[in-house]
Amino acid sequence: MANFDIQMTVNGRQVSQSVSPHLRLLDFLREELHWTGSKEGCGAGECGSCSVFVDGVLMKSCLMPVAKAQDTIIETIEGLEEQGKLNVLQQAFQKTGASQCGYCIPGMMMAATAALRANPHAGREEIKERLGGNICRCTGYQKIFEATELARDVMNGTLPDDLLKQENDEGPFIGSNSFRIDTSSKVTGSLKYAGDMVMPQMLHMQVLRSPYPHAEILEINTSAAEAMAGVEAVVTCNDVPGIDGFGVFTDDQPVLARGKVRYVGEAIAAVAAEDLVTAKKALKKIKVRYQQLPVITKPEDAIKTGATVIHEDVPDNIVMHIPIRKGNVDKVMAESDHVIEDTYYTQPVEHAYLEPEAGLAYLDADGTLVIQSPSQNITHHRHKLAKILDLPINRVRMIMSAVGGGFGGKEDMHYQGIMALAVLKCRRPIRYVFTREESIIASAKRHPFIIKYQLGLSRDGHIQASRIHMLSDAGAYNCSSEGVMRKAAILAAGPYAIENLIVDAIGVYTNNTPSGAMRTFGAMQSQFATECHLDLCAEKLKMDPVELRLMNFLKEGDETHTRQKLGSVSMLEVFNSALELADWEAGISNSRGSTRSDLGNPGNRPPCTLGAREFPQETVSAGQSA
Amino acid sequence: MFYCDQYHVPQTLEEAFDLIQTNKGSYKVLAGATDLLPWAREGRGGDVNFESVIDISKITDMSEWQLQGDRISLGANVTIQQLLEDPFLRKHIPVMAKSAVWFADDQIREQATLGGNLVNASPAADATPPMLAMNAELTLQRKYKGKINQRKLPLHEFVTGPGKTRLEDGELVTRVECDSMPGYGSAFEKVGHRRSLVISTVCLAALVSLSDNGRKFEDVRLALGGVGPVPVRLHESESCLISKPVETELINKSADLAVKNVQSRTRQEYRREVVFNFVKRGIIEAMKDIETNYAEVDKNIKPRKNYG
Repeated sequence: MANFDIQMTVNGRQVSQSVSPHLRLLDFLREELHWTGSKEGCGAGECGSCSVFVDGVLMKSCLMPVAKAQDTIIETIEGLEEQGKLNVLQQAFQKTGASQCGYCIPGMMMAATAALRANPHAGREEIKERLGGNICRCTGYQKIFEATELARDVMNGTLPDDLLKQENDEGPFIGSNSFRIDTSSKVTGSLKYAGDMVMPQMLHMQVLRSPYPHAEILEINTSAAEAMAGVEAVVTCNDVPGIDGFGVFTDDQPVLARGKVRYVGEAIAAVAAEDLVTAKKALKKIKVRYQQLPVITKPEDAIKTGATVIHEDVPDNIVMHIPIRKGNVDKVMAESDHVIEDTYYTQPVEHAYLEPEAGLAYLDADGTLVIQSPSQNITHHRHKLAKILDLPINRVRMIMSAVGGGFGGKEDMHYQGIMALAVLKCRRPIRYVFTREESIIASAKRHPFIIKYQLGLSRDGHIQASRIHMLSDAGAYNCSSEGVMRKAAILAAGPYAIENLIVDAIGVYTNNTPSGAMRTFGAMQSQFATECHLDLCAEKLKMDPVELRLMNFLKEGDETHTRQKLGSVSMLEVFNSALELADWEAGISNSRGSTRSDLGNPGNRPPCTLGAREFPQETVSAGQSA
Repeated sequence: MFYCDQYHVPQTLEEAFDLIQTNKGSYKVLAGATDLLPWAREGRGGDVNFESVIDISKITDMSEWQLQGDRISLGANVTIQQLLEDPFLRKHIPVMAKSAVWFADDQIREQATLGGNLVNASPAADATPPMLAMNAELTLQRKYKGKINQRKLPLHEFVTGPGKTRLEDGELVTRVECDSMPGYGSAFEKVGHRRSLVISTVCLAALVSLSDNGRKFEDVRLALGGVGPVPVRLHESESCLISKPVETELINKSADLAVKNVQSRTRQEYRREVVFNFVKRGIIEAMKDIETNYAEVDKNIKPRKNYG
């Protein structure tokens, strides 16, 4: 590989270096110069975590071969501070809480800077559009837009700069502002995420993943990979010294596939090498022979008699069945004035946290294994790893690095075990950074549900009986399925007083990507079904859907469906505030009264429209205008 | 992941062709790189290793444009952002700016080139329909026996399928020539999943000129993308209007004639509905663009649903 001599100015400093020609500007900044403020979220120009200024123009550094940046001036987030002080935009991002996980912030702040440089008076719509190439997964963008507007107004002198001061209210937490202490590290780009960290002698890891949803592994041959120069360790399940298996509830998932693979993307073997390119080349030299097995892709098929068994010790493919029984549903349902039924389907959802999984693992001076990763469950992982590695617990240390978004998706120990095996084998520090594609292929998703809902109601709208059957695709491994089934069952019937109830939440193994924890942990799926179903019932009963709910709400002193006595219930207050804010128009939902209260009020949002922004005509022509 | 052993940045066409010859069989040409780098990833191109990359974006001749009579000759390296912002280009080929504003995002537009978008031959390429509507012709150049030869090919003949073109080994698209259309009203319609960075589910370019004090269509140009293997010019829809009076019924008929072009593998019914309404809206918007008052026509034209 012929190196390329590159010169540029980065954040005011001149840089001259000879580099591999395949590097992108982002790689050059992060790996060669260690300006790690700019992040890689997708590597495909979709997310903007890598946005930097190239000669004053905002660009995506992941789409730019480094040679394109020859003789340019580069500005990254680390260059925003003015004489060691946060600039106005940085302070505004702090003030409005625009920075949550912080991973999008380096790119987002550069895009906001570009927007205000292009038009110091940009309105909300223009700001939105100019930030359109940058994705944030935490905030929902409102706080980012507010920050940009606040910065704009302070810079233009239309708002006083003391509005940028952080508030830290005394008193109760709810409804008061408190200072978020980690924001300055996020708005300056100084915070190190796991993928930003380096150590002397550090190796890079890559993982070989299954191309098949269900297959027996007949042979794994790693000899050619091991023989390569620069390869320091190749690990498979044979390198596990202790009791293999991890999971949030049951340890049904091996660190690396053992005997068979159960989903596309399951880790089979890993390579630690001197550099990423060598590690990737070595992966291609690992030969695996498979015998494909019948595949289960639908949860309905998993529970059919004679269905293929996915885990030998679970012959019925049922991960967890949570039943709730109360009263006499059969009898009361039969006696109800109305019995209304429907089936609801929800889909798997990827968390798409902007920080793909990453970790740095090493042996401490005293031989303790240390793993730094954005794990949402470090104590649990530590216990699992000690068992897997057959080490005393005090020889395993997990450090939670900054989490660039998790949303439940970083609870599973999907890669920390692999890193541990490799570190113990070659006794050198190892870093492993997922690509976006790998993150999507390998990590757990939100559980898809099929929910059969049956409600028996009296003529006036009282719920008499409820029968809810939820079948959920847990995917190839348990992960958090057991807990998700519990929560789905507990909350299945919603916040309504129901005397007669049957709930079944059943999670089953399939050969799909494992399902795991994701925001609400099973509650969203059952709430979706419950609230849709109540709307449907209101329609059939010709009732105001609000009325129907009010009539059936749980009250103070009631017991939940799982017999928790409710001490204080603020639901009615919340509900009424929501009605007021929504300008709820009373009446049956599927017919319109003579007046509409949902349009034209001061608090109502204008209808959505799309329009292209106008551009100033007075720009300089770069070509020859004949 | 994208690897290469050598990365060349020729400053002239001559240099570029020399590099192509020296690296015959093992080179890759790139301009903006905004399609190539996302392609060289898992699930698409995967890990790709090119022995030599030839980056043509610094060839200055290919970044310029000239007016030649009633045609404009654009270098293939003109960026999408230039099409959006340059006053001269906005005047002569205004539909390109209207397409560019929906193209990727502010950042990618700075790097992505017109030539790259055409050569990449995506069925949903946003620059292709407007260029088809403006009778674009490409200049393809190649060095043969020490001499740079060139041929010209109309855009509609150049693109042959998804990702497929008549570009031959060793050949470069160096220029794009199209009609200069300052008197026309124009519109670009696009729908996708979101505002920025979205691949068109359907996109349409419309150009209209009027005669007889705005009562007659003098010329109509329509081209459609995202609904089949290649973007298409809507000749039937055009001829149903050219030299005809501006009437609701005719515009409806023109839109109807466009619907059969939907050949996508997915969401056909939806796309048919969109195509019908886009053609109508495109024509109306293009007429409004020439500042003629067509409120009456506009009012009579209602969107139509359920296009089976």
